[in-house]
Amino acid sequence: MTNTASVGAKRGAPAVTRPPAAEDATRWGRLVAWKPYQVLTGLIFASPRRQFLLLGIIPLIWLITQHLGPMLQMFQVSLLDAYPVAPGTETHFTLDNYGTFFNESVFQKPFFRTIIYSASLTFVTLLITYPVAYYLARYVKRENQLALLLLVLIPFWTGEIVRTYAIMILLGNNGAVNIALKWLGLIDRPIPFMFTGFSVSVGLIYLTALYMLLPLYSALEKLPRNFTEAAADLGAGPWTRFRRITLPLSLEGIGSGCTLVFLISTGYYGTPVLLGGPNSTVFAQTIAGFFHVAGDKWPTGAAFAVIMFVAALVLSGIFTRLIAFLRKGDS
Amino acid sequence: MTRSHRVVLSVVFWAFVVYLFVPLALMILMGFKDSKFIGFPIKSYTLDWYIGVFGDTELMVTFLYSVAIAVASTLVSVLMGTWLAVMLAGRAFVGRAAVYALMILPALVPGVISAIAFRIYARQLGIEPGMFAIIWAHAVHNVPFVTLVVMARLTTLPRSMGEAARDLGADPFVTFTRITLPYLKPALMGASIFCLLLSFDDFVRSFFLGSYQPTLPVLIFAKLRSGMSPEINAISAVALVLTAVLGVWAERSSRRMNKDT
Repeated sequence: MTNTASVGAKRGAPAVTRPPAAEDATRWGRLVAWKPYQVLTGLIFASPRRQFLLLGIIPLIWLITQHLGPMLQMFQVSLLDAYPVAPGTETHFTLDNYGTFFNESVFQKPFFRTIIYSASLTFVTLLITYPVAYYLARYVKRENQLALLLLVLIPFWTGEIVRTYAIMILLGNNGAVNIALKWLGLIDRPIPFMFTGFSVSVGLIYLTALYMLLPLYSALEKLPRNFTEAAADLGAGPWTRFRRITLPLSLEGIGSGCTLVFLISTGYYGTPVLLGGPNSTVFAQTIAGFFHVAGDKWPTGAAFAVIMFVAALVLSGIFTRLIAFLRKGDS
Repeated sequence: MTRSHRVVLSVVFWAFVVYLFVPLALMILMGFKDSKFIGFPIKSYTLDWYIGVFGDTELMVTFLYSVAIAVASTLVSVLMGTWLAVMLAGRAFVGRAAVYALMILPALVPGVISAIAFRIYARQLGIEPGMFAIIWAHAVHNVPFVTLVVMARLTTLPRSMGEAARDLGADPFVTFTRITLPYLKPALMGASIFCLLLSFDDFVRSFFLGSYQPTLPVLIFAKLRSGMSPEINAISAVALVLTAVLGVWAERSSRRMNKDT
């Protein structure tokens, strides 16, 4: 037994695994020879179809109850006139919760503010990270690229709140920026950066830059260098080369980076609370406000969340279409 | 590709690195300030705030609570994420696109919306806010990241390996545990660390699904709302160093394992 096992191990050892020890092989042998195991595997692996159905059912249930369930439940609650249901009463389906949003401008202001903040900070993030990704992918030697990428990744391992706090220290009245400006003699009194739309945007850009950088980098890294070299040989200047070759071929990266940053930036709650003021309330705060109170406002909050999600999806869908259209037009 | 381009772009790149690191460096530095008042200039330095972090029992309890949540949710995410990845990378089936879309959904829902969706669902299912609710929300939210990483690795698995195992008489279960799983090891390790960090760093879900015991980001948030102090700097700095070291270590070792195989 030991003999055959070791021979089998030597011959059958795949490149990925270390050769199994002799007792290991017998353990597997014992398992395979075990009656209940044979019955069970015989049942499951009888046909590829049955195997797929039996093994796929658990992930399918997980997807429907855990991934889809919360969203559907939120949608259902958004249509109720009261939640939680008081005992002895009946709930009715209503669209009033959605009506609240369209009838009261108090709620529309933070909504449009969020859309404008997210859209403009997505654009600014693109402007900041494009040259960074371009440099990394096109000018750095391949063996150094990973090291530099890893360096840039380090700050992103840290969470939202810690990085938001770092921005607070940077932008406060006694913060680094104001002290530096004062020291340079540019200002006498500190500029009140904090608790404005500006500080919220700086914070959100700081948090989301990575989601732009990585897609841009992978798009630019795939771009063959000889494309631009050929264009240069044919007499195209640097600007033409960028506009006619690099930019169109990195559109895919721009598209996914912008979509990611836009979607993610609409969902931050802690950062706008800490960095923002009364005039920079975002929709996430409006939504959250309905959930701080006991529960009777939950349907309205749920409706607002649905509005936010649908709006964000529709806008990124339009954007993705636009990018696809541009890509087609260029090829 | 002229030299002036290279110079300009490298200046932009290093300016970006400075922009990423300076706020964090200042935060760590401010934790050494010998004053209760946050702000520059720093006139004298002390180690008291950092020493205080390690002597604070409440903080230690919060830290362990966050770690426990991260570990538990990671186990669930890795199990379900891998399962889904194997299913999606396997043979084609009807509705695969729909399964893929459902799989990726939790990663695309903006944070606050995902948090309140879980809050409502938890109430519907009768789950009280607290540790279990947070673990559950983190686990669901992190599944897509595991699936994407594992799927990417699975596509590079040579088909011949599984075929060879089956030719030698291994059933699908043995083939999976002895060929596929060992091959997936770097991806599984990378995904696990990523999930641990996502859970440990998460604020919005922990905030909406938590009870009286806060997780570390929620505690820092609560302290910040009552005012900045070097104590918070010290706590944040320790959290920062821990997560950054773990992240870099995971990145490097999973790359090395990838190279080995």
